[in-house]
Amino acid sequence: MKIGKWRRELPLHVMILPGLLLILLFSYVPMAGITIAFQKFIPARGLFGNQKWVGWDNFDYVMNLPNFKQVLWNTLYISSLKLILGLIVPIVVAVLLNEVKNQLLKRSVQTAIYLPYFLSWVVLGGILIDILSPSEGIVNALIKSFGLDPIFFLGSNHWFPSTLIVSDIWKNFGYGTIVYLAAITGIDPGLYEAATIDGANRWRKIWHITIPGMRMVIVLLSVLSLGQLLNAGFDQVFNLYSPQVYESGDILDTFVYRIGLLDAQYGVATAVGLFKSIVSLILISGSYFFAYRFAKYRIF
Amino acid sequence: MNPGKARSILALGTVMMLTAALAACSGNNAGGNGKNGDAPATESAASPSGSGSAAGAAADPFGKYDPPIEITTVRNLSDVVENNVLGVLKDETLEDNRWSRLYEDKLGIKMKYNWVMKGDENSDQYLQKMNVTLASGDLPDVIPVNATQLKQLADSDQIEDMTNLYEQYASPLLKKILSEEGSGPFDAATFDGKLMAIPQTGSSIEQAQFVWIRTDWLDKLGLQPPKTMNDVLAISKAFAERDPDGNSKKDTFGLAITKDLWGGAMGLEGFMAGYGAYPNIWLEDSSGKLTYGSVQPEMKKALQALQAMYKNGELDKEFGVKDGSKISEVIANGKIGMEYGQQWNSIWPLQLNKNNDPNAQWRAFPIVSESGDPAKIPLKFSTTKFFAVRKGAAHPEAVIKLFNMHVEKNWGETQENEYYYAPPDAESVWQLSTVQPAPPKKNLELFRTLEEVRKTGDKSKLTGEAKAVQQKLDAFASGSKDGFALWGWERIYGPEGAEGVVDQYDKNNQFLFDKFVGAPTATMVERQSTLEKMQNEVFVKIILGAPIEEFDKFVLDWNKLGGEQITKEVNDYYASMKK
Amino acid sequence: MAQTATSNRTGGIPANRKSRRDWFPVLNAVLLIFISLLCILPLIHIIALSFSSSAAASAGRVRLWPVDFTMASYSFTAGRAAFWKAMLVSVERIGIGTPLNLLMTILVAYPLSKETTAFRMRMVYAWIFFMTMLFNGGLIPWYSTLKEFHLLDTIWGLVLPGAVPVFSVILLLNFFREIPKELEEAALIDGAGHWRTLWTIFVPISKPAIATLALFSMVEHWNSWFDGLLIMGDPTHYPLQSYIQTIVIQQNLSNVSYDDVLNLAQISDRTLKASQIFLGSLPIIAAYPFLQKYFVKGIVLGSVKG
Repeated sequence: MKIGKWRRELPLHVMILPGLLLILLFSYVPMAGITIAFQKFIPARGLFGNQKWVGWDNFDYVMNLPNFKQVLWNTLYISSLKLILGLIVPIVVAVLLNEVKNQLLKRSVQTAIYLPYFLSWVVLGGILIDILSPSEGIVNALIKSFGLDPIFFLGSNHWFPSTLIVSDIWKNFGYGTIVYLAAITGIDPGLYEAATIDGANRWRKIWHITIPGMRMVIVLLSVLSLGQLLNAGFDQVFNLYSPQVYESGDILDTFVYRIGLLDAQYGVATAVGLFKSIVSLILISGSYFFAYRFAKYRIF
Repeated sequence: MNPGKARSILALGTVMMLTAALAACSGNNAGGNGKNGDAPATESAASPSGSGSAAGAAADPFGKYDPPIEITTVRNLSDVVENNVLGVLKDETLEDNRWSRLYEDKLGIKMKYNWVMKGDENSDQYLQKMNVTLASGDLPDVIPVNATQLKQLADSDQIEDMTNLYEQYASPLLKKILSEEGSGPFDAATFDGKLMAIPQTGSSIEQAQFVWIRTDWLDKLGLQPPKTMNDVLAISKAFAERDPDGNSKKDTFGLAITKDLWGGAMGLEGFMAGYGAYPNIWLEDSSGKLTYGSVQPEMKKALQALQAMYKNGELDKEFGVKDGSKISEVIANGKIGMEYGQQWNSIWPLQLNKNNDPNAQWRAFPIVSESGDPAKIPLKFSTTKFFAVRKGAAHPEAVIKLFNMHVEKNWGETQENEYYYAPPDAESVWQLSTVQPAPPKKNLELFRTLEEVRKTGDKSKLTGEAKAVQQKLDAFASGSKDGFALWGWERIYGPEGAEGVVDQYDKNNQFLFDKFVGAPTATMVERQSTLEKMQNEVFVKIILGAPIEEFDKFVLDWNKLGGEQITKEVNDYYASMKK
Repeated sequence: MAQTATSNRTGGIPANRKSRRDWFPVLNAVLLIFISLLCILPLIHIIALSFSSSAAASAGRVRLWPVDFTMASYSFTAGRAAFWKAMLVSVERIGIGTPLNLLMTILVAYPLSKETTAFRMRMVYAWIFFMTMLFNGGLIPWYSTLKEFHLLDTIWGLVLPGAVPVFSVILLLNFFREIPKELEEAALIDGAGHWRTLWTIFVPISKPAIATLALFSMVEHWNSWFDGLLIMGDPTHYPLQSYIQTIVIQQNLSNVSYDDVLNLAQISDRTLKASQIFLGSLPIIAAYPFLQKYFVKGIVLGSVKG
């Protein structure tokens, strides 16, 4: 009996083997580098060279840097707003889009909103600096035409975080919309017909059929994105910020990039990376547990 | 569920331990393999004959290796080389070109690039690529590094001591040229009394700043070139307020400024020097101690002046987010009439303005002080590239021979400057060479030669680069369309040229050299860039209108966050070098 | 509904519930069109820029329509061999990387979609894969690993490290889970093993999901630039986005040297950048509409759960 079970499972092991090997080689082997977090790492001595072990010094060093608290706060603030809005906006747009009966319009809108997702932040950074400029930018030209004062989106600590959040949503909501729309399409049309017969109006149908139909996708995507809470978006911030807005816009990744990679202080950079990983692990394990406990849903 | 979960976590732990062990193994193995696998040709084949020929050649600076040897190194590929050199010279490539052929034919040295990085040598990408190369232990024979990387290599004992080799193999011409910057470049490469790399000396005096002003605007508004800082402020005010571009809109600025504040173009070093403030360099105070220019009280006055200019609308409102190329567009559009920068500014960005508006005219004036006395011209230590040799490389002296050959072919007795340095069809051909040392006063000497020719009218004696530049000046003078594109060169080497001002600086002894030239100290490596970022952040804030007390707070913070320690280390080093 | 809309038009004031419901599609369409415009205008700006003269571009006169129309930047780009070479590398990267990603995703997702009773090691494997989304050793160990496997400066160095996209695996395994058990059981009764069940039942049913993941994989490969810069030892081996990165990069003038001057004079041409950015995004944008039809059936994920 036992042997029979093994034999039945054997093909499954064989299937998973190539993928397993690849991640062992390319993800787990490099993870040995996590040890750098506890070293005063001198690059020239190499990864397995004679490095000096310094215990928690790198962590102490980072925590004691004067801006660290501010940076941590910026990271949490920016990324949690991105998470929440990044969840709501695509759901709303997907629902609205689902109500569109004209296929041509539906397809065109889908194509259009997905477009920014294709452009990298390097490219978008250049475009945003251009269109948000207070003197020449097209956005401020509009604001001025209403008789208001121009807004310095990328240069004021008041506006910068909002600019980051909005532009991030703008770039990525198309992706989420497509996923939710796909989930809506999977809903049994019979449910709507039944509801119509019962005399339910549009909003009731949305609220009681469409949204619950997306529940699983919503849970899945929010749990996965929770793990990203300490990733406020390096590519984006890096391409948009300037010393003027460090106060409100500097995030963990850009901070680490400056002290770590450019100054070759890898120990410090790895320490922050490890810190981030552990926080993510806790968040994600927690949400995995809650999703299972309350929604009876297993992410994987 | 629970026991299952516990089991899986346990299993996961095992896997992680397993892979860690695996990693350690593969690392060791592969390390050994890499060495054998990567360079069998050089190590085994070249060593015996190589050491023989080295001894046989009796330290001949130009001795040829026979059979030829192969040297590995790495390099960048700039846009200029890609487009203006290789793009033009169809039968040459980065691996096979006039320089590589010269080195191979004359010295028996074949260059092999382990990698080539597209882009600038100062770019973050190049720095990263170099850092990961060093970190992964994948060292080439000849390692071009910056001061920080050199220190790391020297500290970890991975590179050859070059002290004796340099004495033996450097040609007299090379020794002369490399010493023209003073002892600084060599001090920077010396650790525990040993020379650990050959410095490719930069040219400090080429970093001298000027105040570039649109003279057509000066004329239009009836203003004179500045004699004092007050004149500079008055010009700035007039450029911003009196509509120099004549479009009846208040859309012009007095002075160019970027978010990076400093730099060879649109930088503020020259402006601040006018107030006796010398940010970013180390100065000797009256007691002979070194102090950092950015934290001296003179900075306040300079910052306040800029603050007033900003408040008055004389600076671009958005400079805090605009980098040099953005501001250069503002200049190109004829909205800025004054900027501090180096001699090449007329080629970029000012030529952009000239192209858009042929009536625009710029000229480099000497920077001025508050009192009108000749201002000190701050010069940052400019040797940033060093060539180290991997410990155990078969021919550590080969790189010195490359240096010898490079200077010989460009400025020696057997020079073929027109072929190897700057042929008219591909002016930057010298950048194809692996090593690129040059005499620091080269451009100044060039200007003096051209001045001489302007007096005597005898162009026939000109050779090499001087001839090429004279041809450019002639082309511009002819008024042709191609010549018009050379306006920038005329502004440097012509009768009103910027190099003429360098000449004046040099003769008046106005240069103020950076007093710290050593490798970055321990605390500098850790804190310098953080401190610099903080400094620029505070300065930008003050210019934008923050109270000047922020500066005092900055000085306190600077000292607290490592500045004090750095000052101490710098002074220890300075004292040790004086002995 | 359309009929009621026309018959009510004379009513003017939307007093009753019926006419309010009729206005919704119009408002909705207007709103969605507005949102769509917000998304495409920046790209239109870039296109306009690429067809404008440099003078107009640097003067900031270009908005959404070319000023002083010219093809100059395109003819310059067309003559740049490096650009086309880089595009070839990117195509090659997708050609190898995307099929590999899909194969790995399918092979890993299938076993993991089984219940723990049917595949006892399931949770162990799942966590092993999942952990790689959270932990990494950083840049240096990653680079060293590639070096030890002799993958530096090869196309494989770009595709192998990311060969198993764990995020896609999770999406697909959820999709697989929703496939009715009866189908699988029927296959088993017919004597089919796991392999045949996977290829003859699971994969065909999941075509829309796989097409979606294929597009994600293509976008990912097309837009990556960082690894290309570090891994490739020769600029002619750069993928397109790495190449573009080297031309659009911001210039910090604080340490610019005399030799960089000509360089600066070149890269400051905005129209040229714009044309290369546009050409660089074009293939992936063009591929999208062809795959888009699958999205409607798309990733059904956990939605048909009964």
